[in-house]
Amino acid sequence: MTISNRAGKKKTSQFLLDWAAVIALVVCFIVFTLVKGKSFMTPNNMINILRAMSITTVFGIAATVTMSTDGFDMSMCTLASCSAYVFVSMYLWHGLSLEMSIVVALIVTMILYQLTMFLILVCKIPDMLATCALMFVHQGLGQWYIGGGAVSTGMRQPNGNPPARVILGEDFSAIGRAPLIIIIMLVCVIVAYIFLEHTKHGRYMYAIGGNREAAKLSGIDVKAYRYLAGMITAVFITIGGILVASRGSSAQVGNSDGYFMQALAAVFVGRTVGGAEKPNAIGTLVGAMLVSTLENGLTIMAVSYYILPAVKGAVLALALIAAYAGKREQ
Amino acid sequence: MQKITLGTKNVSMEFPGVKALSDVDFSVSTGEIRAVVGANGAGKSTLMKVLAGANPGYTGEILLNDKPVEIRNTITAKKLGIQIVYQEVDTALIPTFSVAENVMLNETVLHGSHIMNWNKLYSSAQKVLNRLHINVNPRTLVQNLSLAKKQMVLIARAIQSSCNFLILDEPTAPLSENETKELFDLVERLRSTENIAIVFISHRINEVIQICDRYTVMRNGTIVDTSEVTENTTSAEIVEKMLGRSIEEEVSKEKVQLGDVMFEINNLSGAAGHVKDVSLHVKSGEIVGIAGLVGAGKSELCKTIFGAYEKDHGKITLHGKELNIKKPSQALKNRIALVPEERRKEGVLVSEDVSFNLSAASMDRYCTVSFINRSKVDDNAHKYVDELGIITPSIRQQVRNLSGGNQQKVSVGKWLAADCSVYIFDEPTKGVDVGAKQEIFGLINQIAANGNAVIYASCENSELLNIADRIYVLFDGEVRAELNTAETSEDEIMYYAVGGKNYNTAQQVAVNSGGNSYDNK
Repeated sequence: MTISNRAGKKKTSQFLLDWAAVIALVVCFIVFTLVKGKSFMTPNNMINILRAMSITTVFGIAATVTMSTDGFDMSMCTLASCSAYVFVSMYLWHGLSLEMSIVVALIVTMILYQLTMFLILVCKIPDMLATCALMFVHQGLGQWYIGGGAVSTGMRQPNGNPPARVILGEDFSAIGRAPLIIIIMLVCVIVAYIFLEHTKHGRYMYAIGGNREAAKLSGIDVKAYRYLAGMITAVFITIGGILVASRGSSAQVGNSDGYFMQALAAVFVGRTVGGAEKPNAIGTLVGAMLVSTLENGLTIMAVSYYILPAVKGAVLALALIAAYAGKREQ
Repeated sequence: MQKITLGTKNVSMEFPGVKALSDVDFSVSTGEIRAVVGANGAGKSTLMKVLAGANPGYTGEILLNDKPVEIRNTITAKKLGIQIVYQEVDTALIPTFSVAENVMLNETVLHGSHIMNWNKLYSSAQKVLNRLHINVNPRTLVQNLSLAKKQMVLIARAIQSSCNFLILDEPTAPLSENETKELFDLVERLRSTENIAIVFISHRINEVIQICDRYTVMRNGTIVDTSEVTENTTSAEIVEKMLGRSIEEEVSKEKVQLGDVMFEINNLSGAAGHVKDVSLHVKSGEIVGIAGLVGAGKSELCKTIFGAYEKDHGKITLHGKELNIKKPSQALKNRIALVPEERRKEGVLVSEDVSFNLSAASMDRYCTVSFINRSKVDDNAHKYVDELGIITPSIRQQVRNLSGGNQQKVSVGKWLAADCSVYIFDEPTKGVDVGAKQEIFGLINQIAANGNAVIYASCENSELLNIADRIYVLFDGEVRAELNTAETSEDEIMYYAVGGKNYNTAQQVAVNSGGNSYDNK
């Protein structure tokens, strides 16, 4: 292929590829409105979509920050489950205030994340392998802490002591409901967006992700910034875990674990948005929204619940085609 | 503008077992374009890396305006205004960043505030690009640029920081004619508008004469000459200084009875324009050399024949039968073997053992209905370890633990086991020591003596003269000349390899007038 006709081909298709996720989102809205406009295009349903996507988006943001430095964290959501155990147990068992429970959960998560960073940065284990091992560590540690059962109202502590609180406060439940859960999601996205796009520290992370050697030779402290990315990820993981617990009014065993693949899907769909070619906060939001809208619309159209995962998978595959099919072979 | 001079005094550099530089005195001042030329391994790049702080282990002194300075890391070099653009541009760029961010990267790291000022970044980058007349959109992602443009982005980055000495390491090797011209315009502009010295490493002698003010010739880690480029400078003169002596090789081509034309290529083009209209033929028992400089398209030609690169058009015939090779597996079926240049990446499976590697290209023969027969595989391995003299503690040893020469022997042995009839070697002696080189030559001789056709691509012309019966010289993807080894010389090969068109008339004219008619006009 010559350079000139490659360029020509690019012009026509690049725009479509760059905005594929957004176009798909718009098409979804139009189709669902045309078919089921009365039940789809209502303020309540719009809030439904936003609420349903918020947890995925927050985990997606966590993954976005990790992946900006070309990192990868498989153990993200198992760690979030641990955060949730700590959060709910502090609140119910030990009767801490909501704020203090959040702070403790945050601190514990960040301490646990030191282990991740130790394996990756000090032991130099590839991210994927290190976090794969940690996934099991988190699951085991978490269940040991909660004594194998869930942390919820009306249950005793593993040592037999009665819980300090018997019911959840209104403020606890409010976190998991609209509008607060949506506001939290948006704040996470905006904070991540500003940090990654508009501070030089965020740009350093992308530089490391793009070409680690070149970043190092430009005088960027690669290790320090990979560590920083890890700590920021830990913060978003905690927020995600808290949202899951609050939404479910309890900390069930491994109840955050299932969000990992969805969050990853959101990040991959978002990678290409606007031709960014890298994981980015706004793209992740769009990705999560696309999956959520599809789920919502198809449910309204009475498509079988069982087939929905296949639809989600297909969307991810399409997004990946948009991301990689345009690449020329080396 | 005040003239600044950068020099070295008695600089030496030793790598394990090799003295790469010995007592080099080099000096260059701003306002000049200086070429550094020399054969492969002469020490050009080593010297430049010393100046750029990438070879911290040097001994001797570096002088900046006659004051000694220590340059032990790249940051120091940059602070002293010495910038280098390596040939492998991708190692220095962030592919997912825009042009502007890449141009301003050093600036952002050194002086940027915590909050990115995107407007300022784009306008500063645009200013630099305008100043250098580089025509790229600062918002384009670097990964979408051509090699030539990436190079310019790096030059812009260098100029954007304080820069008095710009080293370009073989910048034109991967560029097309037009791109080269664009680069030269840029270099000229830099010299006239900035207080800068440009040090230009190149294998293309014509280019040196075309744009440089002076040239320095290196050979075996020393500087043999530094002269002005005048109207009377000829490429023959420079090539002579570069070569100095001819290397004596012990093993040369065995005389074998050549058979009929066995393997033929007609008007082959491909590899995204890197191979243009190449025709060649090989007789059975013959070793045909492919000469040319780095970037002339030798590897691309080998891989296009083998089907690893896309073929645009052209005909490949073996034993009078036309072959339709679209991918390497088809080449193998037609019993064509390629021993590739990058042996660690392409030639051997480094994490597999010797035994598996030696049977990897001929697995079918050791299998019973798709199940591998280990003892047959091992028999094969023992046979070739003995025959080729591969030095390894056992056939179970992982190939990554062998020396370069032995890895290369494994890479060749793999194809010997496959029993092919056409063997293509791409730089088989790259990075192997002299002893192993002789053994590999012996092997190749033996392959040819068995009545096979051998194509041998190398940029070591002295090797080609030893081992090949005939030599095709490539320049810019085209065959420039077909030479009989017995009737040619290193000078003649080099003359065609740097783009010359007619050696005999050129020599005639040169003898008659002493003029610069060696140039490729």
